[in-house]
Amino acid sequence: MCVACGCGDPNIVSVDVHERILAGNDRVARHNREHFHDHNVVAVNLMGSPGAGKTAILEATARALGRKSHLGVLAGDLATDNDANRVRAAGIIAESITTGSACHLDADMVHKGLHRLPWRTLDYLFIENVGNLVCPAIYDLGQDANVVALSVTEGEDKPLKYPTMFHKADLVLVTKTDLLRHLDVSLDRIVENLSIVMPRPAMLAISATTGAGIDQWVRWLEGIGRLRSAACAASGHAGAVL
Amino acid sequence: MHEYSLVQAMFDQIGDAMRTHGAVSVRRVRVRIGTLAGVEPALFQTAYDVFRVRTACESAPLDLVAVAASDELVLDQLELEVP
Repeated sequence: MCVACGCGDPNIVSVDVHERILAGNDRVARHNREHFHDHNVVAVNLMGSPGAGKTAILEATARALGRKSHLGVLAGDLATDNDANRVRAAGIIAESITTGSACHLDADMVHKGLHRLPWRTLDYLFIENVGNLVCPAIYDLGQDANVVALSVTEGEDKPLKYPTMFHKADLVLVTKTDLLRHLDVSLDRIVENLSIVMPRPAMLAISATTGAGIDQWVRWLEGIGRLRSAACAASGHAGAVL
Repeated sequence: MHEYSLVQAMFDQIGDAMRTHGAVSVRRVRVRIGTLAGVEPALFQTAYDVFRVRTACESAPLDLVAVAASDELVLDQLELEVP
């Protein structure tokens, strides 16, 4: 009987669902995370605007870390294999996830992408999300860490304009710092704005062109790797390490 | 515009609830949207209005409940018509 509006209609029932609308995505993300956990693979969800420098970060990471660790990339884009081709040229195995009109990756797209990539022997899997500062933030993919690339050319106020994305970030890479001398942009102001919206502010200023900050980025990744190894050794159920 | 894929996921959940309760139609849908959910209520409403045409939800209004300082996006409650 309907009690919600008080009409008393015996053919109306109120049903408390109380389920996250992304519960289906969350289930597949847990499945992905269990895979990564079982094979001791660190999975990083790399997000940012189109042109923020995500692919350049991966190329620089290949140069800095590729000799001692196995790296792989799932590159999400609406169209083309350009990003996967670029990171392959840098020596990283990669597959594209072509989303068509979808503005984000979801856990199922990543799961299907894993079927095409020999990921089990990797130390690090980078999931390069679709360039977008809005939609990708709300989809769990099974990653250990969310990393957001923010280029200095995007301006100082992007953290304030897109708070959800930066709120979810475990680390923000402020990219293209070699261009600062050409711009009327304050790195301090970017850091200040990130500190407002990030619950645990963590950021590194880098330039894929000059290599500035790349060592710190690699050390950060290796720190995540050690946390992942410790989590695997503890043989508990899979959970994000951050 | 991920609101469309979210509404699609919600329709799957509504379909499950209808089967569980043997319902013939939906009379009302209530969703809780956190202000940090990354979901725009107006776009969610628009996507719902597009999806519900010629479905069991066609005459079901969508109540969106805003939740401050939260990132939740929850299908909270349904009113279902049962035979």
